[in-house]
Amino acid sequence: MADITALQPAATAADAPRGAAGRSYWATVGERLRRDRLTVAVGGVVLAIVALAVFAPWVATHDPLDGSVLRRLQPIGTPGYFLGTDETGRDIWSRLVYGGRLSLFCGMTPVLLATAFGGVLGLVAGIGGRLLNSLVMRVVDVFYAFPSVLLAIAICGVIGAGIANTILSLTVVFIPPIVRVTESLTRQVKSRDFVEAARASAAPMHAIIRHQVVPNVLGGILVYATSLVGISIILSAGLSFLGLGVTPPDPEWGLMLNALRQSIFVSPIVAALPGVAIVVTSLCFNLLADGLRSAMDIKLPT
Amino acid sequence: MARFVAARLLHTVLILFGVSLVAFALIHMIPGNPLDILLPPEAPKSVVDRLRSEFGFDRPLYIQYLSWLGRVLRGNLGTSVFTGREVTHELLRALGNTLVIAVPAAVLGFGLGIALGAAAAFNYGKATDRLISAFVILGLSVPHFWLAIVLVILFAVEWNLLPAEGMGGTGGFPTSWDSLRYLILPVLTLSMIPMGVVGRMVRSTVLEILGNEFPTALRAKGLMPRRIVFHVLKNAAPPTLAVMGLQLGYLLGGSILVETVFNWPGCGQFMNLAIFRRDIPVLQGTVLVLASFFVLINLVVDLVQALIDPRMRR
Amino acid sequence: MTRVSVPVGVAAAILLSLAATASGVAQTLRIAMTAADIPTTSGIPNNGGEGYRFLGFPAFDGLVDWDFTHPNQIAGLTPGLATAWKIDPADHTRWVFTLRQGVKFTDGTDVTADAIVWNLRRLYDDKSPQFDPAASAIVRSFVNMVGHWQKVDDRTVAIYTKSPFSFFPYMVPNILIVSPTEWEKSGHSWTEFAKHPAGTGPFQITQVAPGQFAELTRNPNYWDKTRIPKLEKMIVIPMPEPTTRLAALRSGEVDWIEVPPPDAIPSLKAAGFQISLWPYPHVWPYIYKVTDGSPFADQRVRQALNYAIDRDTIVKFLNGTAKPAYGVYPPDNPYFGAPELRYGYDPAKAKALLKAAGFGPDHPVKAKIMISTAGSGQMLPLPMNEIIQQQVRPLGFDLQFDVVEWGTMLVAKRSAPEAPASHGDDALNNSLGFADPAVMFRYFSKASFSPDGINWGHFYDPKVDELLTKAQQSFDPKTQAEFLAQAHGLVVDDAAWLFIVHDLNPRALSPKVKGFQPAQSWYQDFTHVTVE
Repeated sequence: MADITALQPAATAADAPRGAAGRSYWATVGERLRRDRLTVAVGGVVLAIVALAVFAPWVATHDPLDGSVLRRLQPIGTPGYFLGTDETGRDIWSRLVYGGRLSLFCGMTPVLLATAFGGVLGLVAGIGGRLLNSLVMRVVDVFYAFPSVLLAIAICGVIGAGIANTILSLTVVFIPPIVRVTESLTRQVKSRDFVEAARASAAPMHAIIRHQVVPNVLGGILVYATSLVGISIILSAGLSFLGLGVTPPDPEWGLMLNALRQSIFVSPIVAALPGVAIVVTSLCFNLLADGLRSAMDIKLPT
Repeated sequence: MARFVAARLLHTVLILFGVSLVAFALIHMIPGNPLDILLPPEAPKSVVDRLRSEFGFDRPLYIQYLSWLGRVLRGNLGTSVFTGREVTHELLRALGNTLVIAVPAAVLGFGLGIALGAAAAFNYGKATDRLISAFVILGLSVPHFWLAIVLVILFAVEWNLLPAEGMGGTGGFPTSWDSLRYLILPVLTLSMIPMGVVGRMVRSTVLEILGNEFPTALRAKGLMPRRIVFHVLKNAAPPTLAVMGLQLGYLLGGSILVETVFNWPGCGQFMNLAIFRRDIPVLQGTVLVLASFFVLINLVVDLVQALIDPRMRR
Repeated sequence: MTRVSVPVGVAAAILLSLAATASGVAQTLRIAMTAADIPTTSGIPNNGGEGYRFLGFPAFDGLVDWDFTHPNQIAGLTPGLATAWKIDPADHTRWVFTLRQGVKFTDGTDVTADAIVWNLRRLYDDKSPQFDPAASAIVRSFVNMVGHWQKVDDRTVAIYTKSPFSFFPYMVPNILIVSPTEWEKSGHSWTEFAKHPAGTGPFQITQVAPGQFAELTRNPNYWDKTRIPKLEKMIVIPMPEPTTRLAALRSGEVDWIEVPPPDAIPSLKAAGFQISLWPYPHVWPYIYKVTDGSPFADQRVRQALNYAIDRDTIVKFLNGTAKPAYGVYPPDNPYFGAPELRYGYDPAKAKALLKAAGFGPDHPVKAKIMISTAGSGQMLPLPMNEIIQQQVRPLGFDLQFDVVEWGTMLVAKRSAPEAPASHGDDALNNSLGFADPAVMFRYFSKASFSPDGINWGHFYDPKVDELLTKAQQSFDPKTQAEFLAQAHGLVVDDAAWLFIVHDLNPRALSPKVKGFQPAQSWYQDFTHVTVE
């Protein structure tokens, strides 16, 4: 379906000589971030979206489940329903903010879970010897080929449709690419001089991993994972489109987009609103990831 | 190198075996069997069960798997429960149809992605970079099935410039301008995500290379800017190739959503139909063939990467 | 509709009508179906109603056919390849069919008594070389009462039912007849036969492009001279996505779409398209589980829900493509009977009934309903159910949905309500038909309890059972009708189902399409249609 390996992380902590100006790497990153006005702005938007979702009960103007066929598909600017109403007469603004909860949850959770699980696997594969590496990577290869729909409907058969199904399917879909990227990163770092130096100094393996490998890999993985959030939202919207994800009447942007698509001839702008929410959210997460990446690549000028 | 290739080919066989096992398990986790869908709702369970027996779907799972495996090893992927036609034949047809839009979409997406990504990176910090990056990211952010519907409404319904759906009744590769028109909207839609992914990848990698000393060193040696760009791009190739390989794999599998909106009888629709119809022979065969493509593409990418950058060898 | 230069529009049109004559005048009708794939073309189509509608009856006949010439009543029966049929007065399991003489298959061979028997063996004799397991199963799901048969002479065939079954002629149209010679020429393979089938219908299936379209061509030698098609060709295209169908119609790529999205109907009408609506034997209910422990075991709760929904609002949401249902049959149907209860939107009655049963808005009835995301005849399940949920909430019903995809629902429907496949749900939202009088028995008798039959909810009323059995064994149409009507009245009063709406078979046609008169049937007659 959509792609997964979008980024190669940039130069990381390893390339920054510590203590040159008495500052740590992360402090430098923070300083660079603050100076990047676009990223700060985008970060603000992301925070705003998350806040709206979290505080939905206070921000919404109506009960998101309360509808009446008599006031369906009202246009933007209708008194009381300033973003219009959907195909069964429910307030779009309220459903958007409540929907943000489910959409963000379905967007972020699979990425978090996949990063946790896939990151560890990738680390292990990167550090371990050829045999371990082959084993892990080939097993991961097996799961690459599975279309997310097949996974979703199979899981659906066991636990039924709904949020759990979406989260589980998407997590499984994201793990292989995260493993691949982490493994690639780890191998690169492993061959770097400072790691060789640490090994030459007879430092214990777990210490090397903790102090040399992980910090350098972590930055890259975090940036990569952030860019997956946008794709995750779109994929879960796709699953709802096929009837496998969130079930009605729960508000969720993908489900709303799906339900409204037949109304596109009657009320095109209202039908597009959930799509706008998805685009804005995904755009912001991606731009945020880019900004983070630029800040962390301190060889580049700001 | 030869040892590497041989080892990976051996692994490929193992992987495909694993894929077929997991696919088999997954498919049988789904409630219902093809007869439940094939027969009209009025058919009572007894009729369904009797037909299930006749098709062999009531045998123990491991026997069903082994007999399927046996047939596959002899080159027979089985026949569809619904159409009675051979899976191999149907799959090749669907794959062919997908290729008709997947290949141009890949070319368009990769080409645009590389050009835009490089342009953004070389203009880092300026407004051009921001603008191009935003456009590239937009490709990743817009739900493409929704974009498809909008494009159809604009170009087919409102302005009547392009067809709304289908392949134009000719099948296979387009042989005339008329047939080509059917490709335009699907290819455009499909190219969005590859463009976005490859574009971001290229930008990111080129930026990293630009941050290294060596372009400056090359400049000092008196190389023309154009040659520098070429060198930079060459060094950015390995990770970009990896990403392109993945994207190609996903495109070949067919986008279910795009093919549904455009009613394009490709692999995505084929697989989707098989899933919802529980057409087990078709599903098993299709997953196996698609998995082979993925694995082979990954293998080629790993090979090329190892050729270009010796550090990446395992 | 065509606001654009003529060449573009014509190019698009001609592309799909592949055999368009050189003069450019193509009497070709292009239809977009809701099916996701082309139904099988071997004479017994899969894919349910649409299968038989487009690739069944237009290209093949049975001994008995559906009668499309009386649109103001539910389609009855008319002679097909048999000119007459009667029950043997001495043996009520023996039906005698007199064959029509002089009919030829489209491959030129004659329709003989032997050919009829050969076709029966295809479907019922698993030892015959021509046995077709899939086709057999499809036909046997309706017509499972065929016992054996006998070629009486060259003009007569007798078919025996396993037990006396007065509604048998209504089952016979499902047995479509194909040419044995063509099958033999196809190397004894049904898959090969399906590529160039030979039947006796007004059209002949001339081309199948898998995944893309099927093409039917006029059969000028059709035996019913009043139904020789005016069209030269008919092309059917699978197009499951409603917005795609709509776009295809509006852009001129097809002339006819099945089931347009209801929201698009006003704009279609404004743009000059024709919307065809006509009743047909379809009902969209909740099938209640009435076994112990179900919230719907209590008759008062079942009846209360029937008063709690506002059917007119649902019809309004559907932009008039349905009409309210107050029973399995609509009130103007001879089998409707005279139930004492007339349902409609009556919140007061609903609340009173609920109160008597011990429920109310502060102590609501909790029920889980299985609904599907799509499916044949299911209309728009998600929004329609959401509307119902909203409507009944203030009155004291807390309905939750178990959303499944169509395949899962089919599995559930065939299982006992306590079986795991039924997910413990309390009702099934599954549309059903009533084209033949035997349906009531299939839906409400004890003998039809799932998993043996499709009485999923295990509804049982001994009186109803008795009436339905007597109807099946009575060979006088008048007494049949009386028994059925009485049974129906009881079923309505007992609120075996939540009766919601009847679909009105919506289709959208280009203004160029003329001559279509819908019949009250799941199938239609395309022979009088023309395309300008």
